[in-house]
Amino acid sequence: MANVAITETKHYSLLNIWIVSLILKILISIGYHSTDFDVHRNWLAITNKLPISKWYIENTSQWTLDYPPFFAYFEYILSLFVPSFVANDGCLDIVEVGNYGLPTIYFQRFTVILSEMILFIALQWIIDTSKTHELRRRMYVATASLALSPGLLIIDHVHFQYNGMMYGILLFCINSARLKRYLLCGFWFAVLLCFKHIYLYLAPAVFVFLLRGYCLKFHWNKKKSFIVNVFNYVQWMNLIKLGSIVLLVFTIAFAPFYNVLPELFGRLFPFSRGLTHAYWAPNMWAIYSFTDRVLIQIYKRIPITRFPLQKLFKFNALLLSDSKLLQTSTRGIVGDIEFFILPNITPKLTFLLTLFYQIMALIPLFIQPTFRRFLGAMTLCGYASFLFGWHVHEKAILLVIFPMTLLVTRDRKLLSPYNLLVCCGYGSLFPLIFTSNEWLLKKVYTLLWYIIFYFNFKKVARLPKKAESNDGIILDRMVNGYILLFIPIITITSLIDLLKGKYIILQNFEFLNLMIYSVYCGIGVISSWNGFCWIYFVDDSIWTE
Amino acid sequence: MAKTKKKNVKDVKSVGVPTEVVSESKHLHHHNHNQTKSIFKNSPVYELLHYFERAPDQWAARYILILTAIILRTAVGLGTYSGFKTPPMFGDFEAQRHWMELTINLPISEWYYFDLQYWGLDYPPLTAYHSYFLGMIGSFINSAWFAFNDSRGAESNDLKFFMRVTSIISELILYIPAILLIANLLGKKFNIGRMDQIIVSLIILTQPHLILIDHGHFQYNSVMLGFFVYSVIELVNNNLIMASFWFVSCINFKQMGLYYSLFIFFYILNQIRDIFQLILVGATVLITQFIYVLPFAATNPESLKQIVIRVFPFNRGLFEDKVANFWCTTNTLLKYRNLNLGLSQLSLIATLLATIPVNCYIFYKIKKNHKLKIPLLLYGFASNALSFYLFSFQVHEKSILVPLVPILLLLFIDKDNITIIQWINNIGTFSLYPLLKKDGLIMQYIVLQFLINWLIGFDLILPKKLNLNNLVINSTYFLMIIYHFIDALYSPPIRILLFLVILEL
Repeated sequence: MANVAITETKHYSLLNIWIVSLILKILISIGYHSTDFDVHRNWLAITNKLPISKWYIENTSQWTLDYPPFFAYFEYILSLFVPSFVANDGCLDIVEVGNYGLPTIYFQRFTVILSEMILFIALQWIIDTSKTHELRRRMYVATASLALSPGLLIIDHVHFQYNGMMYGILLFCINSARLKRYLLCGFWFAVLLCFKHIYLYLAPAVFVFLLRGYCLKFHWNKKKSFIVNVFNYVQWMNLIKLGSIVLLVFTIAFAPFYNVLPELFGRLFPFSRGLTHAYWAPNMWAIYSFTDRVLIQIYKRIPITRFPLQKLFKFNALLLSDSKLLQTSTRGIVGDIEFFILPNITPKLTFLLTLFYQIMALIPLFIQPTFRRFLGAMTLCGYASFLFGWHVHEKAILLVIFPMTLLVTRDRKLLSPYNLLVCCGYGSLFPLIFTSNEWLLKKVYTLLWYIIFYFNFKKVARLPKKAESNDGIILDRMVNGYILLFIPIITITSLIDLLKGKYIILQNFEFLNLMIYSVYCGIGVISSWNGFCWIYFVDDSIWTE
Repeated sequence: MAKTKKKNVKDVKSVGVPTEVVSESKHLHHHNHNQTKSIFKNSPVYELLHYFERAPDQWAARYILILTAIILRTAVGLGTYSGFKTPPMFGDFEAQRHWMELTINLPISEWYYFDLQYWGLDYPPLTAYHSYFLGMIGSFINSAWFAFNDSRGAESNDLKFFMRVTSIISELILYIPAILLIANLLGKKFNIGRMDQIIVSLIILTQPHLILIDHGHFQYNSVMLGFFVYSVIELVNNNLIMASFWFVSCINFKQMGLYYSLFIFFYILNQIRDIFQLILVGATVLITQFIYVLPFAATNPESLKQIVIRVFPFNRGLFEDKVANFWCTTNTLLKYRNLNLGLSQLSLIATLLATIPVNCYIFYKIKKNHKLKIPLLLYGFASNALSFYLFSFQVHEKSILVPLVPILLLLFIDKDNITIIQWINNIGTFSLYPLLKKDGLIMQYIVLQFLINWLIGFDLILPKKLNLNNLVINSTYFLMIIYHFIDALYSPPIRILLFLVILEL
């Protein structure tokens, strides 16, 4: 009987996992970092040296401050702790291009590691607030997978950003929702938005959830009139409480910038960027661009197709004869023209598509505002913005992975889309770090992570009540096959990369390489989206309380 | 299909009904009682790995072990290396690269003669072949890395990464499988639980000294040590022929392997039962050695002599830099250079004085009690290599790796002594500190030292009971920490190394 006591009181702690990851993070801190490092260094300098009214005006460096105010405050607070030897190293100089050495690197890396504590606190809170032992065990696997996420390691600790802290705040918001503490949920999400506005993509789910779960209550009182009943649908007290908390947060954030608000918003929402990056994030537009490139080749190589293509897409054939222009496009350099044969994509279209798919996801949430529906809707909002958004960066895949991870242990059917998503999502982050020294590290780490959590999720995930049909197994195998096929893809693209110095001809494949890579990941992410949608809209048992 | 279904059914039970989980853990408990209870129960390393304790998951733990080892090595490899940006001579990294350059560009007869002033080849033939092989691959990828004479001091990022990967792969092919194999073998012989085998292997593979020297400072010691561990495996299996083959390979990769030679020679003699076996073993040694030097003998017989001269440079000093051995320590009292003595003879006498009594004792014990053969084998290797390290001539601080491997292997048969074994390892790593400081690897040193001690658990590292040994252990740790704070010129704890021999017995 003693064993019963042991299993029931077993405390799942992330402390050891944190220490292990800490060791790796310190070791890789001296490795490659991207220009984002200088971006954040510049922000430290701006917030430290200038009065608050100049923060969003200053533009000596091209890396201007373009995060919302809380992040600026955060940088300001950090800058107060810069030791003098780091400041002498050039950490706090407002210059065009940062000139810094090891002390600055150690300091900034340290701030990332320190701020990531928020993520670990949030994850531990999720475990501790789980009621049954079974649930704690499941949540332990899920939270550990997030704590060790290769995405965070690559983006935060190699590339350099503060996503760990941001996602920590997001998890505070999510767990508050789980505990039905709606005010706290609204508070955390408002705080999060004031840190980084990319989370606006998830805002519809939070908004609908709070509105329906906290501010509306549908009950019809026959004795009262129609107008009174409609009036009573709204929980006015709750609405005022929630509204004032959110407004208060935004006021604290934006009030000090009252006289520079237009500049501030101009910085936050730059609409002058292209649809895709030089490297395509694995979304719909990657597939779309790829189709365009294929059609160009078909058009050029097979004369017979020219007429139907011309009739079908009504493009300007003269552009295609301009080989120089074509070169820029096939090499992946973003020019004025992104598509030659397929119709152009406008920001408005991407916005409408995103909104459409988000609304589709929100309808079930509005009808059934349970916590799991909320997570599902949030995941789908992330998917929609990632797949259809304008100028999406591959880093945004974390927006999908984080909410979904908390869901997967609920049902084994969710594992297939999840595995596909993490494999292709994290895999698509590899080209972000292009230096040779980190080449092995990022791949082996991701592989290790995948092996550990593939088996552990399988072990703890709940089996559906109904007996599984054979389709599930076949689909499962296909997914596993697709994931395994990813290994040869990585190997071949890496080999081409490795030998391109030796064989000049391979340099022509450089862009093709990235294209294959992102299309492969893109197909994976889209398939996982389809799989998840199917479960979200068709299978009811997962989402009810 | 049937298999998956069965699995599913099992999982339904364990997941669906909470009581099943309890019974599962009960079963686990029961299972553990059959074997000796793990002393790592409270260590973080157990905490982290116990999710893979169930028999069907244990294979995953092994892969996790290997992949973690690779990750750790690549992460350390991001740092600087010996001789980073320090012309004109650079350091060991350049030496290894230069050997690749010269072996692929010169005929084999000239390998040991070429520009001896600038990192002339001074390791035995297997290192030369190894360099040749890696150099061929490297120059296939990018010929500029090993361009003859033009590539001196080349330090591009790609080259650095290539070199790092070669040392990781060398370790992955030889040392890591050897450790896993011996874990399996000794596990069977001494009834060690699978989980403990994995944990001990992890502890051995996470030791900072080898990682820092091979993947930080940059060398290929793991190849030599891998050959040695294979030799030990064959000795445990009582296959003397293969053992001597592996051992000849070991000393043909790096002369440092000779530290083991005295003991292995007498051990094999001790184990030989008839004249036929003696001839077989002798022939194996001779033929292996003959094959290894054949390319040199065939092209230029003169170069055999040159190899010997290059590999055993008796005209250098008694020790290099600051080595934590006897000579260096006592040098502060007596200036050996001023004494007109044959230093090599002196060190030979001292080494023999230190080893012979111990060896006599060990062989007496083996004769008396055959069951103690394997523990005594490992103890013998450990004490001999340590004596050689402490007393012999021309010791480099990196030679500490040689005694540390058999000492680490002792963990498999003597887990309860982990406190002392890890203490020796900590001192070993500590003795490398001046070297690492020169290489700019202080951060990696601190992090890895913390990692290994934390993984084992501070409960096992710091002894609680009050006796002389424990007092020594705790005070050395204290002094080490003090030293790191002061980082003074003379390292006081070096003297404490002398206690090792006493403790070893």
